[in-house]
Amino acid sequence: MILVQLGLYFALLSLLTFGGLGPVIPEMQRYIVDVKGWMTPGDFMQLFAVAQTAPGPNVLVTSLIGYRVAGVAGSVVALLALCVPTAAIAWSTSVLWERFRESPWRRVAQRALTPLLVGLMLAAGYTIATPHAPDWRLWLIALLTASGMTTTRVNPVWLLVGGAVLGGILL
Amino acid sequence: MVRTAGAANRLDTIDPTPPRTLWELFVGFLSIGARSFGGVLPAAHSIMVEKRRWLAPADFIETCALCQILPGPNIGNASIVLGRRWFGIRGAVVAFLGLFALPYLWVLTLAVVYMHWGARPSVSAVVTGAGAAGAGLFIATAVKLGRPIAGKPAALALIAGCFVLVAIARVSLVIVMPVALTVGMLFSARGRL
Repeated sequence: MILVQLGLYFALLSLLTFGGLGPVIPEMQRYIVDVKGWMTPGDFMQLFAVAQTAPGPNVLVTSLIGYRVAGVAGSVVALLALCVPTAAIAWSTSVLWERFRESPWRRVAQRALTPLLVGLMLAAGYTIATPHAPDWRLWLIALLTASGMTTTRVNPVWLLVGGAVLGGILL
Repeated sequence: MVRTAGAANRLDTIDPTPPRTLWELFVGFLSIGARSFGGVLPAAHSIMVEKRRWLAPADFIETCALCQILPGPNIGNASIVLGRRWFGIRGAVVAFLGLFALPYLWVLTLAVVYMHWGARPSVSAVVTGAGAAGAGLFIATAVKLGRPIAGKPAALALIAGCFVLVAIARVSLVIVMPVALTVGMLFSARGRL
């Protein structure tokens, strides 16, 4: 039963993952933590952190959530539920893509989507960095990482390592 | 994605050859998955355009643009689109499995290790710090994406609206997304974005 819930929820969520997984992170946390109570916000943040250290697409965080909630079967169900519906869309759209290449609506939609994605990415940053009550140490690490990422061209992996070291010192 | 214009031009003059066998496709995507620490696109570009020369640079950028507009993980979509183009449904499945195989094993192993050791305060502090840094990466992406539209009041209103509804009021995205997209399309069609 829990596998079915997990699968249906991630399949629905996958249709909203414009711009990757980041923008849907707050929604995922709201459902998993607030609505279902499958884990604490602190657990969610830590699973997110573990997934960040892995290579590959960041959708892998869904397999960790699935694993935590329902074991290995949960991890497979969550990952496939998040990927298969959008894969089907990608499959069919690549056929239509050429036809709409010159359509002015493509531009209108692109412009409409950008501010949404910015707002949702900010919400993702806030949600992850504020698992419980606001904590200036977590916000400091997040802001230092953000400024490192915007002002230098260093591989983000090193920024995560820096965050881990700072976490070890401050927390 | 493309490192320098010079390199792109040089690669443009070489005819790309798509993978010849399903095995070659699988190994190619396997190495993209294995090498993509800190971002998949640079690894995808380096393997598919520079090393294996499956795609011309312009073709790579065009495929990325399509996959960015669609919902879903960009590179996951790219594995489906390209696998299908080269080998039909078998290609799509093989490319997708190749891409996810190693990162999936990695993340699951880490999770098992983490559940074993995660209760220790020192481990928990380090992992929490990495999580906060991950939050910072999202903020940085938002800043980069938002810079070109920061001067437009309609865009700022939409950004603030989405943030408050989702992060503070914690309204479901299933409600916020269609509403915000409708408002965005109205603004956008009137040239306000």
